[in-house]
Amino acid sequence: MSALEAVSVTKRFGGLVALSDVSLDLRPGEVHGLIGPNGSGKTTLLNMLSGYYRPDGGRTSLDGEELDALSVQRRARLGIARTFQKPRLLPALSVLDNAMLGCWRDTRAGFVETAFALPRARREEKAFRDRAIELVHGVGLGHALTRSAGLLEHAEQRFLEIARALAARPRFLLLDEPAGGLTGAEIEHLGRIVGTVRESGIGVLLVEHHTDFVFRICGRVTTLDRGRLIKHGTPDEVRRDPEVVRVYLGA
Amino acid sequence: MSTNARNLALAAAGALALLTLPYWAKDLYWLHLATLIGAYWILIAGLNLVTGYAGQLSIGHVGLLAVGAYGFAILAGTHGLDPFLSLLLCGALGGIAGLLLGLPSLRLPGFYFAMATMAFALIVTELSLALGGLTGGGTGLSVPGFPSPMNSPWGYYWLVLAVAAGVTWLTWNVARFMWGRALIAIRDSEVAAASAGIGLFRLKLTVFVFSGITAGIGGGLFASLQSYITPDTFVFEIGLFFFVCIIIGGRGTILGPFIGTVILTALPEIVAPLAKLGAFFYGLMLLIVVLLIPEGVGRLVEVLIRRFRGEPHRSHEVKPDLPRLASVLARKEDAA
Ligand SMILES: Nc1ncnc2c1ncn2[C@@H]1O[C@H](COP(=O)(O)OP(=O)(O)OP(=O)(O)O)[C@@H](O)[C@H]1O
Ligand SMILES: [Mg+2]
Repeated sequence: MSALEAVSVTKRFGGLVALSDVSLDLRPGEVHGLIGPNGSGKTTLLNMLSGYYRPDGGRTSLDGEELDALSVQRRARLGIARTFQKPRLLPALSVLDNAMLGCWRDTRAGFVETAFALPRARREEKAFRDRAIELVHGVGLGHALTRSAGLLEHAEQRFLEIARALAARPRFLLLDEPAGGLTGAEIEHLGRIVGTVRESGIGVLLVEHHTDFVFRICGRVTTLDRGRLIKHGTPDEVRRDPEVVRVYLGA
Repeated sequence: MSTNARNLALAAAGALALLTLPYWAKDLYWLHLATLIGAYWILIAGLNLVTGYAGQLSIGHVGLLAVGAYGFAILAGTHGLDPFLSLLLCGALGGIAGLLLGLPSLRLPGFYFAMATMAFALIVTELSLALGGLTGGGTGLSVPGFPSPMNSPWGYYWLVLAVAAGVTWLTWNVARFMWGRALIAIRDSEVAAASAGIGLFRLKLTVFVFSGITAGIGGGLFASLQSYITPDTFVFEIGLFFFVCIIIGGRGTILGPFIGTVILTALPEIVAPLAKLGAFFYGLMLLIVVLLIPEGVGRLVEVLIRRFRGEPHRSHEVKPDLPRLASVLARKEDAA
């Protein structure tokens, strides 16, 4: 079965157990919510799926193939893209250049081909530029295409990170709190973008604190608390779960 | 006039000025100075990819310059090899030295990497003293010139200019295509670079080896220009000088470090009192630029325009174009 999976993963930081025996599977064409209080291990799980951490127990896999030995870069090339809780853009480069960076996955021109501006390097440059322009307009940053990324406002940075991740033509997109710091109208835009991404067949993992937003756009939701999985199911099931209400949603 | 057309016109004017320099330069000394700048620039242009783009602070490239210089003196001088062939071999030597230095050091955190390059430069100097049979020890070696017409000051200038232009073109291509973005990503956010699939070590090593090749070639041309080299020719300050040229020129541009190289090489020669300051002058320049124009002198015009006009008021409203997004996501394979 085609999916990005974490199977009973455990992660310790010294004495702290950030994740304990947590499983999650992300399927193509779904939006899967990951919620939980601060420090419950959401980002840690995302880092594990994208390869920044190795599990201390359990394993991660893609389409049944074990991923644990693979670097962040190898996983990116296999089609796992992500954004960061705190946006990590290149402030010295333009919005377009930032989005184009995502196309590195498809770059075949090596150093020598590039240095001598051989046809493949030129061809790729043109194709990637075109792809990135479409994505930048697609996520709503057409007005800032040539602007330096260092001059963007917070919401624009979040959307640019999504464009950069999509430029890698991922199969799975992991979003770490994409709605953090966004206005209501911007969250609406984000919801439509995520919907469009899902319809294209990409599986989206959505780490979020805006629970209304999560319950509205996710097909399934996983809830963590202090590194443990406390509930997994449809939005309705999760919303009504007494333990989720107790530790996270509140009365 | 569009910025593109203006840049093209400026570039053409600059190229013409450089090409005709032997006709308008006041005297041979100026020509010598211009040739020296050219030889330095061949090295600095390569180093710029390492330092200005990939953000790896090498302060020991003078060691690679020395490898190229001694290589040329030994191959073309002691062994009487053809100078052009020798120059190519110097490039290869520099590349190999770069590989040997880069392999163990480029995984180190920035400070330790800088120290490793410094140690390399010091070791090369010590070796050039110790291996007297090969290098002439403290006495040094005399270095042959190139055959006619490159044996005249202007012929040699044009040779150096041609090599420098070629190297500049190569680095410009690297900078403007995907590799340039990837290198800047390594400099500004290794985490983001990795998430885009960029192999940090592989890219750093590649540009470092390239910088070794250009340093080797630059070293060969430098040695031939000096016509006599000793270990004292390659004092550690020159390594700092290369580094400072890039930093005051500005990171992430090619023109900036070039301007930096011209200023730092020519100013002490033109304004005699500055020469006496030596390394102090480089330090002072570095301080002035870092404090006043951290973007580097290459961006001075840009920075001034921005300061006087202020940031234009611009929209920040995000307006997704979902059909456009859907259509680009539906594209199957547009990878070139
Ligand atoms: N690199 C690290 N070293 C040590 N402890 C860490 C590290 N990363 C995370 N932690 C700890 O692991 C726990 C889980 O952190 P994590 O960032 O995954 O939480 P989160 O669910 O993403 O929280 P938030 O909603 O605040 O982003 C926290 O207690 C955190 O302090
Ligand atoms: Mg988090």
